[in-house]
Amino acid sequence: MDAYDTAGDARHGPGPEPAPRKGVAALSLRYQIAAALALAVVAVAVCVHIGMVFLHVAPSNTVSKKHGPAIEDWIYPEFEQNWKLFAPNPLQQNIAVQVRAEIREPDGGIRTTGWYDLSAHDGRDIDGNLLPSHTQQNELRRAWDFLVATHDNDNRPVGLRGDLAESYLRRIVVLRLDREDAAGPGGLVERVQIRSRTTNVRPPEWSQEQVSDKPMYRELPWWEVPEDEAEGDPA
Amino acid sequence: MNRFALALSAGIARVTECALGPYQTAVVRIGFAATWLLFLLRELPHRHELYGPGGPWSFDLAQQLIGTNGAFTALIWTDGRLWFEVVYALAVLFAVLLLLGWRTRTMSVLFMVGVLSLQNRSIFMGDGGDNVLHLMSMYLVFTRCGRVWSLDARRADREQAARARGERVTDRVGPALWAVLGFVLVAATLAGRLDGDLTVPLILWTVWIAQAVWWVVGHRARTAEPRVLLDVIANIVHNGALFVIMAEACLIYATAGWYKIQGSRWQDGTAVYYPLHLDYFSPWPALADALSASGTMVMLVTYGTVLVQVAFPFTLFNRRVKNVLLAAMIFEHAVIAVVLGLPFFSLAMIAADAVFLPTTFLRRLGAWAARVRVRRADRAALPRPRSPENPEQAHVGSPS
Repeated sequence: MDAYDTAGDARHGPGPEPAPRKGVAALSLRYQIAAALALAVVAVAVCVHIGMVFLHVAPSNTVSKKHGPAIEDWIYPEFEQNWKLFAPNPLQQNIAVQVRAEIREPDGGIRTTGWYDLSAHDGRDIDGNLLPSHTQQNELRRAWDFLVATHDNDNRPVGLRGDLAESYLRRIVVLRLDREDAAGPGGLVERVQIRSRTTNVRPPEWSQEQVSDKPMYRELPWWEVPEDEAEGDPA
Repeated sequence: MNRFALALSAGIARVTECALGPYQTAVVRIGFAATWLLFLLRELPHRHELYGPGGPWSFDLAQQLIGTNGAFTALIWTDGRLWFEVVYALAVLFAVLLLLGWRTRTMSVLFMVGVLSLQNRSIFMGDGGDNVLHLMSMYLVFTRCGRVWSLDARRADREQAARARGERVTDRVGPALWAVLGFVLVAATLAGRLDGDLTVPLILWTVWIAQAVWWVVGHRARTAEPRVLLDVIANIVHNGALFVIMAEACLIYATAGWYKIQGSRWQDGTAVYYPLHLDYFSPWPALADALSASGTMVMLVTYGTVLVQVAFPFTLFNRRVKNVLLAAMIFEHAVIAVVLGLPFFSLAMIAADAVFLPTTFLRRLGAWAARVRVRRADRAALPRPRSPENPEQAHVGSPS
């Protein structure tokens, strides 16, 4: 890529003495061979790496299907990437995560709270915010995506990641309930239930499109909250 | 055939005799270090919730996931609260030092350790911006990104001047830093803390050994040749990494662009409207409404976005077109920062874009920054009327 020029005068001798700079030309044959070897190794490494990343981000194809494990070995865990930014289509629904809890009162009674809209809370925190925090913008949103990706249609976890996703989401909602002081004085969160509320973004005014504005709910079963977690505070 | 051979040897000479794009790599270094630094400072109040041992993504959950993929994070070494605070503080410190270009190679490695330690600890907290930063922090390790606009460059100038005066220059900080980090590296390896995926331990060990070899050859070699060879190898590695950084940026845009072409919303020209109306990405609803008031405008921006992303890699073969598209993309990212509430993502993308900025522009930017600094220093230095750009000092940013 010769799309930019180089400033030849910006070289600096990092060595203790200003070494004479002539590149390979200044070297005797023995050293030239070593330099050529280094060049070959780096060239191959660069090509392989770019090739692997390309196959990783490209759609599944003949080559990537054939060499799937080799590509995964190279890419994961440190070179993983996903650049389908708002693609192929941007998300066209607002997905809100809501939670309600069963509280054990100090007198032993059980009380069920109303639904807390945690995403709406995030939304309010983001409004007018020049620097939204990852805790407001990514935490709950991505935890829900993670849960959906690791659960079947009957909301049962699939594999280890499914269990991890459940614990993660549970810990997030317990933390948020604690901040809302949902348990009240002396109360303890015993169980939580989470649901998502999906609404279509209303189409632009200048379009003739019609979409339903009725929200759709996906309700997860009630989850027990381990006792040590109910009092937990991350800070 | 002869022409091919000539071009090949010219190309080999070029990639071996110098580290290409010194200003571009420096600006990428500064850009990513600044992005990460600002992010860490912004999240300071939320650091426990994001990466702490008792956060929602608890130590136990992180341990289970990392058990399956072997990703590198120093935060998994112990669940101590103090250790977490130390790692966070060090990540801030390394970002500052990389930004300033102090012991740049070593700091680039430590910067990478800081980035990976925090990000890999809680991967579900990140977004595209974190992803770019993650990759670039690894690629930067292989570049000579401190040759200009750095404390290292200033030190090299001073040492050269001192040597010209016949003074002896001995560096004690470098070997001391190397020894301390070597101790940590050996201890971590022996304790089995680097037993996960091989990539990161390999980088750490390679750089540590390479620095020892560099020092020994620089101080003990009787002829100049071994030193020139090491310099050539460092240039080759730098140029390879620079190429990877550019290719990565192109892959990001190509992927983002080509996948969009397949989407019905990008085809019907309404795509840009939707992110503007998602609760999680609309900090300024009134502004979003104003921006999407005209269907024609939305359609133009939608098509323009796809066009620029798909076209960008191809425009690298034409400097003028490339620069126009680059300006457009940097502008679009600046808008995204505010309108979609993604400041750190945008900053990271702009830092990646910066690798394609033209040298003349960067040099002018450097000279301008140096002038501002001189002027400030003059103002601080009391009654003396400020001297118009001292040619000596105007060069602090661009050693000759």
